[in-house]
Amino acid sequence: MEIPYTVKPRPDTGLYNAKLGIWLFLASEVMLFGALFSSYVLLRVGAEPGTWSMGLMDIYVGAGNTMVLIASSMFVVLAWAQLKQGNLAGYKKWKWATIACAVLFLMVKWSYEWPSKFAHYDVWLNDAKVLHEKFEKGYHETASHIEPGGAAHDNTDAHDGDVEKYIEGIYTTRFFKESSVTSEDEFKKAWENGTLALSGHINSYEEAQIDFSITRWKADFGVSRADATKVLAKFSEDKADKLLQDGGELYEKTDYDTAKLAEYELGQAGFTVALSVAGYETIKKHPWMWGTKRVNEDIGGKPRVKSLVFGLDETQHHQEITLDVGDIKRLSAYEPKHSTFFGIYYTITGLHALHVFGGILIMLYNMLPVGLALWHKDREQYTNRIETFGLFWHFVDLVWIFLFPILYIL
Amino acid sequence: MSDSHDSSDFIKHLVNLFRIVGGVLVVGTVITVLIDINFPLSLAWAAVIGLSIALVKASFVVAIFMHYKWDKKLIWITWTMVLTFFFFAGMMGLILWSEGNIPKLDSALAISTGTNEIPTIWIVLASMLGVVLPAAFTVLTVKLLNQPAPVEAAAPKAGRTAPKKS
Repeated sequence: MEIPYTVKPRPDTGLYNAKLGIWLFLASEVMLFGALFSSYVLLRVGAEPGTWSMGLMDIYVGAGNTMVLIASSMFVVLAWAQLKQGNLAGYKKWKWATIACAVLFLMVKWSYEWPSKFAHYDVWLNDAKVLHEKFEKGYHETASHIEPGGAAHDNTDAHDGDVEKYIEGIYTTRFFKESSVTSEDEFKKAWENGTLALSGHINSYEEAQIDFSITRWKADFGVSRADATKVLAKFSEDKADKLLQDGGELYEKTDYDTAKLAEYELGQAGFTVALSVAGYETIKKHPWMWGTKRVNEDIGGKPRVKSLVFGLDETQHHQEITLDVGDIKRLSAYEPKHSTFFGIYYTITGLHALHVFGGILIMLYNMLPVGLALWHKDREQYTNRIETFGLFWHFVDLVWIFLFPILYIL
Repeated sequence: MSDSHDSSDFIKHLVNLFRIVGGVLVVGTVITVLIDINFPLSLAWAAVIGLSIALVKASFVVAIFMHYKWDKKLIWITWTMVLTFFFFAGMMGLILWSEGNIPKLDSALAISTGTNEIPTIWIVLASMLGVVLPAAFTVLTVKLLNQPAPVEAAAPKAGRTAPKKS
């Protein structure tokens, strides 16, 4: 049976079918987001004290994004009102404004909020003594560099020569929002056990420079001599024959990735290779999406990365300290694996952003000639289509209205 | 929205409402931020205040922007959504109370029941919600499917008429 398209409200449901459909869809969306919201709240209240780092969220950016979404929600309904009055030009004006707001919202997320989290790190050290030493160095030296009465004078006051007290202040704002008996207890425990994390960004690091040599070629490996020479020629054209015969050095002080790739390809061709660390070179470029794995990978019993130059946050000058890799217990950017908080944070905001993105696509379709053709064919049906889209868009706004206090304030 | 609400005057009235609601939403956001940065709040208070303001904002969006106010016949879907809300709230409440440490309802429970245990009635109520929610959907679906075919007012357009089934 074909379902007839009705532009007028049906007398039995009081709605036209499309509107009933979108409301049913929204009802199912309520359940989807309801489940995620409940999960967030349960994880939040069940979290151990001092593990929910909501202080890292920038409430001003969040509030700004809320405003942008509110504006887009208002524009979409104004666009519909214009259509209802038969004014296509007015409709287009408001609709483009809606799209602009939606794009702005996603851009803030995509180019500022998320990437800045991927570029910042928490480092946990093995030994409380080393941790305290690094804190002292980072925060004390900064304090001594700040001129009295300068822009950063507040910071000097906050130190008051007592770094531990100052760190406690940072810890409290990040995990508790206010000073209380619990926050003091938790801070003391974490300070004594050394489980506090240094928070900041990696400015540079020392990575191993690798000497790469071939020790022998196995003739009985199942690869012909000609093929093996061909593989070797990819890495060293002129010395290929000699290396196959006698072995010898292929690379001097190359970087880790090149060496590992060569090791794999040559291994497949029957070569036995040896890697040794010739020294360490400072790499200045930003190690984007830099995992803990990179630090821990060993080459000949030596870690691939010797030390990190780490810019501490919460200081005026991002005071740099050097961390020995051997002292590091765990290193993680503020990515989903960092903590439960970031796991659920990316899940919910990501799903919401996906809704915004889908909305943008639908809006663009409606604005293109192919979508506008319906307006010229049946004005009422097109107006209804815009209205049902508006309902979806308001729902996306609704989700954010609840997300904002939950993520930025709780 | 019914036909009587399609007049140009009514739309103009609506546009004014939309502007007012936009203002309410902005003010709500500003209040939330101001409270958060000026008063260090405990988790419970932050939740109560933040979510109350969000609830007010959400009500305005649903009532005016989504013109729910004029779509009275949505009542079945409304109930489904309201039940969803209570289902999740009830589920969270049960887990929180069994943990017994976060929202300090202990004293309130102790007054009413003389014990810190969760009264059985809450578990029964929550389970009933779990039954009522799918039931509401079933009833809604059955109700809609059993409606007679649309009357002439909503007759399908020419060329799209379904062949009559005998």
